[in-house]
Amino acid sequence: MLEILAQAVINGLLIGGIYALVSIGVTLIFGVVKIVNFAQGEFVMIGMYISFFLATQFGIDPIVSLAVSMPVLFVIGVLIQHFLIRRVLGLNDLPQIFLTFALSLLIVNLSLMLFTANYRTVHTWYSDEAFRVGGLYIPVAKLVAFVLAMILSGALWIFLHTTDLGKAMRAASQNRDVAQLMGINPNRVFAVALGIALALAGAAGSLLMPFYPAYPLVGQVFVLMAFVAVVLGTLGNVIGALIASLLMGVAESLGIQFIGADSGLIVVFMLLLITLALRPSGLAGGRRR
Amino acid sequence: MKRSVRRTSRKQNRREFLIKTGGALAAAAIGSPPIITHAAETVNIGALYPTTGSMAQIGVGCVAAAKLAVEMVNDAGGIKSLGGAKLNLIVSDVQSDTTVTRTETDRLISGNKLSAIHGCFASALTLIASEVAERAKVPIITGSSSDQLNKGRTYTFTPFARASQFAKAQLQMSKLVSDKPKVAVIFENTAFGTSTSNGLKELAPDEGVEIVMFEPYSAGFTDASPLVNKVKASGANALFSVSYLNDLILIVRTVKQVGLNVAINGGSGGFVIPDFYKNVGKLAEGLQGVAHWNHDMSDEAQKVNAEYKKRTGEFLFEYAGGLVAQTFMLADALERAGSTDPQKVREALSALDVSKGYAAMAPGGKVKFGPDGKNIYGRPVGVQWQNGDLASVFPKEDARAPLMKT
Repeated sequence: MLEILAQAVINGLLIGGIYALVSIGVTLIFGVVKIVNFAQGEFVMIGMYISFFLATQFGIDPIVSLAVSMPVLFVIGVLIQHFLIRRVLGLNDLPQIFLTFALSLLIVNLSLMLFTANYRTVHTWYSDEAFRVGGLYIPVAKLVAFVLAMILSGALWIFLHTTDLGKAMRAASQNRDVAQLMGINPNRVFAVALGIALALAGAAGSLLMPFYPAYPLVGQVFVLMAFVAVVLGTLGNVIGALIASLLMGVAESLGIQFIGADSGLIVVFMLLLITLALRPSGLAGGRRR
Repeated sequence: MKRSVRRTSRKQNRREFLIKTGGALAAAAIGSPPIITHAAETVNIGALYPTTGSMAQIGVGCVAAAKLAVEMVNDAGGIKSLGGAKLNLIVSDVQSDTTVTRTETDRLISGNKLSAIHGCFASALTLIASEVAERAKVPIITGSSSDQLNKGRTYTFTPFARASQFAKAQLQMSKLVSDKPKVAVIFENTAFGTSTSNGLKELAPDEGVEIVMFEPYSAGFTDASPLVNKVKASGANALFSVSYLNDLILIVRTVKQVGLNVAINGGSGGFVIPDFYKNVGKLAEGLQGVAHWNHDMSDEAQKVNAEYKKRTGEFLFEYAGGLVAQTFMLADALERAGSTDPQKVREALSALDVSKGYAAMAPGGKVKFGPDGKNIYGRPVGVQWQNGDLASVFPKEDARAPLMKT
């Protein structure tokens, strides 16, 4: 019994790491630029396809291709901020919602055209391997993904707290007008925020590739969890999103194990509702960091 | 002050309006299906398949097979009793979505003079399309397996094995691997999953098979580990997974990862298509499944398979192969009806009785509809992945290769 419980928690934490990469991106964009990016899942998908093609064409390991997918998506993020999001920032919420939603539709349908709806998998030597500890098993691919996800999240935290640009980003997220008065150039800060958020989504895609098939609609599987995590962990709070993602992974896994295999999401949403009832602004309270 | 406020708000409204209408136009552009039309005297056949969305990958294969079948009928001289009239396939994309299926079926029927329809591959979609077709009195022929399609319908025809029959075959196959099968049943909580698994549960006692776990899951999960963890805890020696492709890939890979020693029967759906092997690779060898059609069944089936393979590079999978047979059943009915009127085509379909040719490509080789639209000879065939191909292995009379022991 204890073994089953431990295994369920391990499974939950491991997938929670991936949720974290996606949700940190969403929360960072919301915190800094104040828009909700509905297309975040689609950038995970792009990251997956980048790794898929590098693996099949050049034999590059998906984990190594992180070094390609992250910079590529960073650039895409900066371009999207510069050419699209910048133009709707002064307007009300509606154009912003339509913009990212349209972007999501566009990317999904373009990839359906370009890549077809087929599932693509990359089979690496460690895809089906697992470490065994007693009766427990820890899949290698997922452990690698989890560890790298935690390292990237940690690196982001250090960036936000120690570098000037990171501090400027936090300042802009706390109060945009005052930050501007202090000489912070919002366009530059926003572009970097978008870039980082998309790079994280790309990283999630590459890390998923050894154990999850890529297909044009794959982003929508992960983005739902990401949105729940973002709300649960207080909108705009990076650490909150990280903790909430891990929590949700575990809640989902325990729900499947002990309530029913179709109840994983029910447990997740119960958790969300209870949290919102008790702490309306999320687990981290009103703080945004 | 007041004026300037009004002006900005009007500007704002115009912008909002443009964005909204732009979105609507874009949505319409994405949703509109390609329509093939010919000027000559033709018989319109509607084809409803999900060519976008989560089920697109099977839907696209279905459309390719449907086009091939129509070509075959037309090249053989069309419908002779109608002066050699050609079949004209009108494809409509139901986008893997139940709401879209309803509106698209309506639109297809009201916008075209159809003689019959085939579709939609996924039972959840076919149930809706068949409701609409029933009301419009247009016959629909389908390979979908849900038993609900045979309840209270008069225009719906199902020439292949039903979900309940699939269940029986799967249970019997589990006895090929173990004398005392202890089966874990996991199924996606959709019309297809629920009807198939309920069939398994009802029939298990009669077949002497013990079900030690019976668990619905929500399709499209991110991680199969919790579910497989649960199967492990149940102590099962056989696993029946009623799933579409994506979930099944994750389940099979996770089972191997955990090192769980269970005989997997993947049922039909996503398990019996070429993509499954491409994604799972060698891990698929020896896995069993059931299908309503397989490409090694008969000479005709092998001939169609060869042509399909030439065009697409893949073998002709269950649903698409059955679809070719269905097109020939429609052609047979049209020939006897001597009319494009959907009511007359329905009459002719209900009197269909074939035992040779492309229209009889079905396990058992015979098609004749009962009053509930079910093929009275319909039965499934047990299949196994062997060397990257699907071989028919069960029952004895349909077996084309011996069962590979794993």
